[in-house]
Amino acid sequence: MSSPKSITLYTAKVCPYAQRVEITLAEAKADFKAYQIDLANKPEWYAPKVNPASKVPAIAYGGPDVAPENPSPESTKLAESLVLVEFVADLFPQSNILPKDPVLRAQARFFIEVIGSKFIPAYIKFVLRGEGYEDLLAGVAAVQDLLPESGKYAFGDQYTIADVAFTPFFARLKLAAENELGVYQTGQGRAFLDALSSDKYAKFNAYVNHLLERPSFTSTFHEAYLKDVYAKRFVKAQ
Amino acid sequence: MGHPKSITLYTAKICPYAQRVEIALAEAKVEYKAYQVDLSNKPEWFAPKVNPASKVPAIAYGGPDVDPESPSSESTKLAESLVLVEFIADLYPEANLLPKDPTLRAKARFFVEVVNSKFLPMRFILHNEPYQSILDTATVIQSLLPESGKYAMGDEYTIADIAFTPFYARFKLSVENEIGAYEYGKGREILNALQAPKYAKFNAYVDRLLERPSFKATFDEVKLTTKTIYRGC
Repeated sequence: MSSPKSITLYTAKVCPYAQRVEITLAEAKADFKAYQIDLANKPEWYAPKVNPASKVPAIAYGGPDVAPENPSPESTKLAESLVLVEFVADLFPQSNILPKDPVLRAQARFFIEVIGSKFIPAYIKFVLRGEGYEDLLAGVAAVQDLLPESGKYAFGDQYTIADVAFTPFFARLKLAAENELGVYQTGQGRAFLDALSSDKYAKFNAYVNHLLERPSFTSTFHEAYLKDVYAKRFVKAQ
Repeated sequence: MGHPKSITLYTAKICPYAQRVEIALAEAKVEYKAYQVDLSNKPEWFAPKVNPASKVPAIAYGGPDVDPESPSSESTKLAESLVLVEFIADLYPEANLLPKDPTLRAKARFFVEVVNSKFLPMRFILHNEPYQSILDTATVIQSLLPESGKYAMGDEYTIADIAFTPFYARFKLSVENEIGAYEYGKGREILNALQAPKYAKFNAYVDRLLERPSFKATFDEVKLTTKTIYRGC
């Protein structure tokens, strides 16, 4: 395959979906331009010229070398975080984040599906709607059930798209809970973390510790910035 | 990559998700065992031995040659229709179900994401919600179709088409036969709305989807018109 064309990533530090793509690009050691979209005040050219859904992440691929604020119609515009993760993995096979074996690949994609259907809605329910963390603990258990007998990550020692898909969400949950940032009542963050520290989640906890140590995660996670954004977003009544 | 192993597909004719996988297997000309799961009366071994989520489609891959009703713990169990379609595309690359070019591949997967998340005719069919969203989605899908070519990604039939066809086909069957929770006559209404010239490209596309042999071979129209077309599966 010929060498990849230029990549401009439209992203936002706050967005866990966008971070999935940033992690993948870091794993691929890809050169790319990153353009921060202020999600609260999107540029008027963004939807018409980059992503009609007006969301991040999005990629402008190829085309002439232009400023990101001036996207060219000649570049190919792509969107949807998981589509982009697979795209970068396809462009940069040496990143090794897609298992080569079709069965492992299918299991990695299944893991991602479980994150999307069991973990993320429960995280939103707890942090953004303050409706309790029981579903979230069930989501944790569902993820734990998929983890292997041994190895650092979801598929052993190889870091894969499964880990990439999950990490930004778990990291934001942890940050929110540790700092009591969310719609839930103050104290619920600590209560959730206490429940999570139970021995029955030991395997999960070992796994997420590995995720949070991965350099491609740490280099794309802006903790102080996120704390600040969440503190402003979740000003509590009490 | 080695030679693919044996496949047993747990499926149900009524289920559009399962038909996605049946179409992919037909396109790849795979010999496989198909086991029909009665969704209203699932075998007690199905969840513990094949799919804890108790849904079709599911695949048992490899392992010893056993009766589908007696799945071996040595086979690998896989589930989720779109995961399975990509799995078959990976096992049988000669079937060309995925474009080779990464950009086209990304566009195919984006198309899948759009049809999977936005084409939801069961809200109209089962719950009598307004059908305008179906027309809006047809417009969105149409905007993704190429300038020329038979299918979503041009002349190659891909996972994009496979993801959409079973859902469109059941929608069409429902509205043509006025089968659903909606008032009698609304089926005709939405069909008339879809005849408007602004949907011409969409209509040409879906007509070709319904002509694809791998679709026709796996679509049991008679059975579907005598049962509820959509139900949880």
